Amino acid sequence: MNKITFAFKSMIGQRTGRLEEKWNYDAGSLLLSSPVVEDIDGDGRKEIIFGTKNGKLMSIDVDGTLKWTYSAEETHSEMELMFLDTENNNSISSSPNVADINNDGKKEIVFGTESGTIYVLDGKGKLLWKYKTEGPIRGTPFIQKFANNEYGILFGSSDKTLYFLNGKGQLLWKYNAKSEIESCPSIILSQKPMIVFGSNDGNVHAVDLKGVPLWQYKTKDKIIAQPVYDRLSKNTAPAIVIGSTDGTLYCIAENGNLIWSFETDGAICSKANVIDINKDEKKEIVFGSCDNSVYAIDMNGKKLWSYETDFWVVAMPIVADLDGDGKMEIVAGSYDHNIYVLDSEGSYVLDYVPGVSGIVAQTGQYGEAMTSGPGKTQGKKIWQYKTEGVVVGCAYLSSEKSLIVNTESGKINDLIHKKE
Amino acid sequence: MEKIITKQGEVKRIPLYVQGLDDVMEGGVPEGNITMICGSAGTMKSSVCFNTMYNEASTKNKIGLYLTLEQSYPSLLNHVINMGYDLSKINVLLINDLSNINANISQLKNSNKGTIIFADLGCIRKEIKDAKIATTQNAGWLNVIKNLVKKVKTDLGLDMMVLDSLSALYVLSKFDNPRIELFYVFEFMREMQVTSFLISEMPLDGSRYSEYGVEDFLCDGIIHVRLSQFRRNVVREVSIVKMRATQVKTDIFSLEFKNGKFYALYGGQNPLL
Repeated sequence: MNKITFAFKSMIGQRTGRLEEKWNYDAGSLLLSSPVVEDIDGDGRKEIIFGTKNGKLMSIDVDGTLKWTYSAEETHSEMELMFLDTENNNSISSSPNVADINNDGKKEIVFGTESGTIYVLDGKGKLLWKYKTEGPIRGTPFIQKFANNEYGILFGSSDKTLYFLNGKGQLLWKYNAKSEIESCPSIILSQKPMIVFGSNDGNVHAVDLKGVPLWQYKTKDKIIAQPVYDRLSKNTAPAIVIGSTDGTLYCIAENGNLIWSFETDGAICSKANVIDINKDEKKEIVFGSCDNSVYAIDMNGKKLWSYETDFWVVAMPIVADLDGDGKMEIVAGSYDHNIYVLDSEGSYVLDYVPGVSGIVAQTGQYGEAMTSGPGKTQGKKIWQYKTEGVVVGCAYLSSEKSLIVNTESGKINDLIHKKE
Repeated sequence: MEKIITKQGEVKRIPLYVQGLDDVMEGGVPEGNITMICGSAGTMKSSVCFNTMYNEASTKNKIGLYLTLEQSYPSLLNHVINMGYDLSKINVLLINDLSNINANISQLKNSNKGTIIFADLGCIRKEIKDAKIATTQNAGWLNVIKNLVKKVKTDLGLDMMVLDSLSALYVLSKFDNPRIELFYVFEFMREMQVTSFLISEMPLDGSRYSEYGVEDFLCDGIIHVRLSQFRRNVVREVSIVKMRATQVKTDIFSLEFKNGKFYALYGGQNPLL
């Protein structure tokens, strides 16, 4: 009965308004990853920071005006240049990360490039230090502050090595994963602290904070998504949630044992968003798949709803209250050039209209019809916005209540919700 | 982007300068196409490719890039001079050192003669065998080839290239996912809009035209040269297996080289002796 009541409520709960572009900015190069929104120069206003395919790290303000650009282009001899993939060598494939890694009270920006270098810039785009590896860095560097106020920077490289640096750029240790690392690692500060990351041979690796291996969990294809570590409800132990390009989202316990898995029909390329989207005090998991869909699943790996776009959903969906109605919306960018804003609770769709008899009698499935719900929850689109290219990532600018959307073609769009 | 023609017969063609063979393929291979020349050792694959490049350079002032991955530059030159090709009619540039490549190529910019650039990658390999970059970059040698093609295309306007051979490329550059990676190699050549000849060394049993098989589908044309035994004589034969955008006669011809020219002779039932 509750489900039927909910169905009718959902049917009349109409959202109004639309998404509108506030401004756009042309980066002049292809974009490959999401922007980051942070106040990096301490002026009290947030900046939008992103990397480009031609090796530029850019900072623009919330009005879409360029503040500064840093060129990560490296100089090479004529001979070295011949060996390099000159079109991609300086590419910044992943989002930067921001933290005060040297405890000077100002935030620094950390990012990696296809040439295998980690750069650290200050909030005004000045190089502080860089660290060179032997292979492309395609994952966002992970930054962790420890109890002694020291910072650690953790990143994987396609030279098959996980690097752990301190805030001054000194190597603390490195770990040979025996496979290229494109996944961004995560540090789990549980009773037994550990680092978890995926590699291209399909393994989820867990190593301790000194780089000693703890366990591995094998998936069927390479892992490029970042793991998430979270307590999915008050009564459950924290777990690791990570997607694989084999199409499955895995929920793994701290000891490396599988808790549950959820299969999709396409590669999962980005981190899942673990958040309580329906205020039931249990966390849900929202993620995109290259089977073109956005999924919301519960803490036990059961599907709540999915919404199918026209192409891959590669970037991590974000969860925000765009229209200020107190309810969360799910924002997903698709390779079909669209931004989709979805209702976090989905929409209950009836399999048949209650009161119309005959279906039960005709099918003879009386018992099943009475014990199962009269319908199912599906993903519900609230708004949609067509961009100029493949959506590679987005971020929520809470101060402006707007969405910053990066498209592969090089356009950054600032979208806001406009009431009718 | 490949140009789309508006009517039949509009395709521009590059003759192979093999008398008898060009006539049965509408005059030659379509400009910009990627053609594999396949055969076992001793079937004159390299010579057929050089013959085309030489004739285009000497008669139409075209620019060609011959990438030799195994046979050394002196060995290749001795071979073609001995076949009777007059290299004084064209510019010949040797690239066996990557450090001075810009200067070497730019000296040809204002020439009004056709040019063949020999890039001896075997020699370059020996030169830099201890250089770290050559060992750390897995796709490094493939990048060298791509960057050479781009450089010559940009600076001189490259018309034609020969890659001798695909088998040697596979030894130099490891392909983890050949199906995907070769797709991008072929796409690169198509984007460059350079008429390309890829020499493929076939196993003696002739079971396939290329190493991975996927090349057969990715290329636009396949020309098969082979050795055929008839009593105590061995003759070379040539046939066109596939040629996109071309009406071809797929019969087997005898391939002969006489007085500085290639001939494809059709003798009916049996190979000519």
